[in-house]
Amino acid sequence: MTTNATECLLQLCDEQFQLEDYQSGVPRWCSGCGDNAILAAVQRLCRDEALRPEKTVFVSGIGCSSRFPHYMKTYGFHGIHGRALPVAEGVKMARPDLTVFVNTGDGDCCSIGAAHWIHAIRYNMNLTVFLHDNQIYGLTKKQASPTSPIGTKSNTTPRGSYLEALNPVSVTLGVQNVSFVAQAVDWIPEVLFDIVKAAYHHRGLSFVRIVQRCPEWLPKSFDPWLHDPNRVQILAHANGLHPSAALSRTYKNQLEHDPSNIHRARELAGDSVNIPVGILYRNPEVPCYEDLIRPDLLRTPELTRSVLDSEMDKYTIWP
Amino acid sequence: MEADTQAHVAFFLTGRRTDAEPEPVEGLGLRPALLAGYRDLAALRYDFPLVLTARGGELERVQSLSAIFDEALTRVCTGAGAADAAALRHLGLRLEREIRGLVVGGFRGLLSAAWSAAAAAMESKGEAGPADRLRRLRAAVTVEGELADCDEALPARLVRHAWAAVQSRKAASFQRRLERLVLRLGEILEADFERSEAGRSAARLKASVGGGFAGAFDFDSLSRTLATARPRVAFSESRRRRISDLLATLRSQRFFSAPKSGGADSGVAEKPFEFQFASCGEALASLRGRMPALVALARAIVVAELEIEGLYSEARHDGLFRGFGDNGLDPQDLAAFPDYLVCVNASCLHGDEHAQLLEVLSSGLPIKVLLQIDDILEESPYGEGNLTTGTRSRQVASMAMGLNEVYVLQAPASHLYRFREPILRGLRLAGPALFSVYSGASGATSDLPPYVLAAAALESRAFPAFAYDPSAGPNWASRFTLEANPRLELDWPVQPLVYEDEQHQRVTVDLAFTLVDFVACDRRYARHLARVPRAKWNSHLIPVDEALSRERKGLPDSVPCLWMVDERDVLQRVLADERLLREARRCREMWHSLQELAGVHNSHAEALLARERRAWEARAQQELPAAVPIVTVASAPAPASSSARGVAPAAEANAGPERSPDESYIETQRCSTCNECTNINNKMFAYDSNKQAYIADLDAGTYAQLVEAAESCQVAAIHPGKPRNPREPDLDALQKRAAAFR
Repeated sequence: MTTNATECLLQLCDEQFQLEDYQSGVPRWCSGCGDNAILAAVQRLCRDEALRPEKTVFVSGIGCSSRFPHYMKTYGFHGIHGRALPVAEGVKMARPDLTVFVNTGDGDCCSIGAAHWIHAIRYNMNLTVFLHDNQIYGLTKKQASPTSPIGTKSNTTPRGSYLEALNPVSVTLGVQNVSFVAQAVDWIPEVLFDIVKAAYHHRGLSFVRIVQRCPEWLPKSFDPWLHDPNRVQILAHANGLHPSAALSRTYKNQLEHDPSNIHRARELAGDSVNIPVGILYRNPEVPCYEDLIRPDLLRTPELTRSVLDSEMDKYTIWP
Repeated sequence: MEADTQAHVAFFLTGRRTDAEPEPVEGLGLRPALLAGYRDLAALRYDFPLVLTARGGELERVQSLSAIFDEALTRVCTGAGAADAAALRHLGLRLEREIRGLVVGGFRGLLSAAWSAAAAAMESKGEAGPADRLRRLRAAVTVEGELADCDEALPARLVRHAWAAVQSRKAASFQRRLERLVLRLGEILEADFERSEAGRSAARLKASVGGGFAGAFDFDSLSRTLATARPRVAFSESRRRRISDLLATLRSQRFFSAPKSGGADSGVAEKPFEFQFASCGEALASLRGRMPALVALARAIVVAELEIEGLYSEARHDGLFRGFGDNGLDPQDLAAFPDYLVCVNASCLHGDEHAQLLEVLSSGLPIKVLLQIDDILEESPYGEGNLTTGTRSRQVASMAMGLNEVYVLQAPASHLYRFREPILRGLRLAGPALFSVYSGASGATSDLPPYVLAAAALESRAFPAFAYDPSAGPNWASRFTLEANPRLELDWPVQPLVYEDEQHQRVTVDLAFTLVDFVACDRRYARHLARVPRAKWNSHLIPVDEALSRERKGLPDSVPCLWMVDERDVLQRVLADERLLREARRCREMWHSLQELAGVHNSHAEALLARERRAWEARAQQELPAAVPIVTVASAPAPASSSARGVAPAAEANAGPERSPDESYIETQRCSTCNECTNINNKMFAYDSNKQAYIADLDAGTYAQLVEAAESCQVAAIHPGKPRNPREPDLDALQKRAAAFR
């Protein structure tokens, strides 16, 4: 597609952003926390895509991950527990011109916010959702979360948790209207960034589960995968990730997976031995809720007045 | 040579009849035998009449009556019983024929009116059948629009109709944008007012609350309180003025009509500009006169978008927009505005108008020109006996293609329905377009209806159909198409003629339809033709295409002869003279050049092929004595191995530098930004532009810190290497710990 001369000139005048333009304060996360890797990847995305800070919003719920908006020099909404998604949907509905990201944790999204999570996937609004999954409630000092592996000893499960962990990727892939599901791990920054970027570019709800280490409360939890790169399965495809040669040297366990194949994506998501990393599913054809309900009408004062009048008329008692 | 043949040859060479034979053709009402079946057009199902509708997509706005009836009959017959469906089909086709008859007879108006008239006529003849069937059939026809037959007015009507459809879509999109811009800019000014002293005055606050609760508030106090909350960023006077100017420019534009729902303020002060013209000169003058307003509007739109987004920076953008449009506007910028349409008749294309047409087409401006040609067999202005045979139209269309960036479509009116998509493509394209259309309505020069004449022009190569689309690709192969012409690989299309001979036997002959057949339809050229009585038919009479393919040396021993039919459809053979044959050769040469452009019998390609074939044969001759199979020449295995060799260095290049185990370094790409190392020593370890760690200064810390950082690193990306300071305490222990990360 050609770009006209005026547009090119305006692009020349566009501001160039640096990473510092998106950095706000020093993160209070513990050293070694995987949240730092997610923050770095997202800040890099904002810079590379030249997202204007005043046009970008990060919405979160409650938990370690949900401190994320504090560290972004953009608009942010540190919401209430489990309600990051409905708040983000409201923001998007009122201001479709904004780029809206959601940061939520395994407790925030998969426990108290599970109902909102399911329906947000079904509504498929144009949001980019990062599920920071460290498999534990970290902010409140170690309680088992829905994604804690069976047998996890915590303050609420001193004898080890009794239930099988919930798999957020499988659940998401099972909901109607799902349009983008990816899985990343915080310790492979190159792939994390590629997935974050692909999620941002997808129009619809992009759900990215980021497997994230908690060095404070579950320091050994991911050691088997961290120390054995072959247990991390990179999903490559012409329409998905393109791992670099350097990455391929370390992560040799690679699988060609077409992100348009939802049945294969569901099979891969259920793998309990390896962690599949990459774009599991992508369907750009799923309509966004805001496109379906928004009429092709400009909200002029006349329109607002006529709608209000018609509403008021419903309660008018005619003589 | 027999006496009869001598007379025929004499006519062929001189165009004059010396004796009673051959006979003149004037008054015989002859037409080419291949056109015998097209005498009563009302009885035939074909594309015409067309229905020009105002609804639906751009392509659906021109529909064929036959297609409308087919669709309606499919709809109404689905689910009906077999007998009922057959009766409905019979009724539908009868009604369609009646409507077509009305249109051929001169009816002009809406389809619904023609339907009523046709139904009434059928009822009066007792052919309408039960009223219920007619009613069901009528209910199944959902299309309404003006009927258009293939006549003199058709090209302009159809192109104007398609142009209006394209422009209405463009206008709707532009109006939506304009409405949004005006509303948003108005909101910015309104927000500014609300923050001003006047906006926060007690009277204003009182007015905004309304009368119901006016007594419940102390508006003076409220106003004083609000006055203390001054906005941190003041709204500059220059911005306020700029936005007001933008609003004025947007509201006063005359390129499109005002948005319907724009409210009182967004109305257009004056009537919109006219974009349809009858001459290129008028169109050019209007375009030039409006250019400053167009540049101002285009600038206002871009600036308004920036203002609404809050991106307009006076320091950066003022200078940029001061010179906006000085070098003319980009075609993409112009594409949002209406295109100009010029409908001009070739008979008016003399002198200035011709020069202005050239100027229009070479300007690159969005002007679409319909060049209507009513007569392609016009008499040459340079003397009796010279024919022009469409050279004037060819001149313009070929010249326009030579300009490279003009969309060119040439087609006879009979094929315009099939060319709906190319017409729309030309109208949608940014930049100039030329539609060269032969209407077939050449007045009293022929007995044939315009549809048949136009179609015959295409068939005889007198007016070939082609399209040149500069946006379709980088070369002629992708831009030029000749596909719509019949049998484009041949000089003349060949059709079978079936007739009944004297013994009432069915006979089929294949006849080529040449330019001479087409010229024979025109009574102005009757003097170049002569009828041969049945008794004089002999083997010296040969078809025109055969005569054209023969090279004549000396006195001809055969003469070209056409197959024609008279008014009673009796087969006649008609001699053509040398003059017509000469024109047919010219026409064939022009067709050959078009064929070459379309890649058919391309002389360059054929020459190259011949050269390669000769070279191949020469190589084969040389290699034969050595008994080497020729196929081995082409079966070298080199490429596979060479490509494999090509990949390896690239892979090696990606492998990264080889590191010594003694070197201290961080695998930066693997860093997960966990802050462990920077928390230990933020001078020794630093983050790069992607916030991934590297060793900034090895001397800024101790080896112990380096080892500690390696042990803390969550992804084991830090390699301490060898210590730099041999005097550092506990080096042995540190080196043992560091060994795990080498």
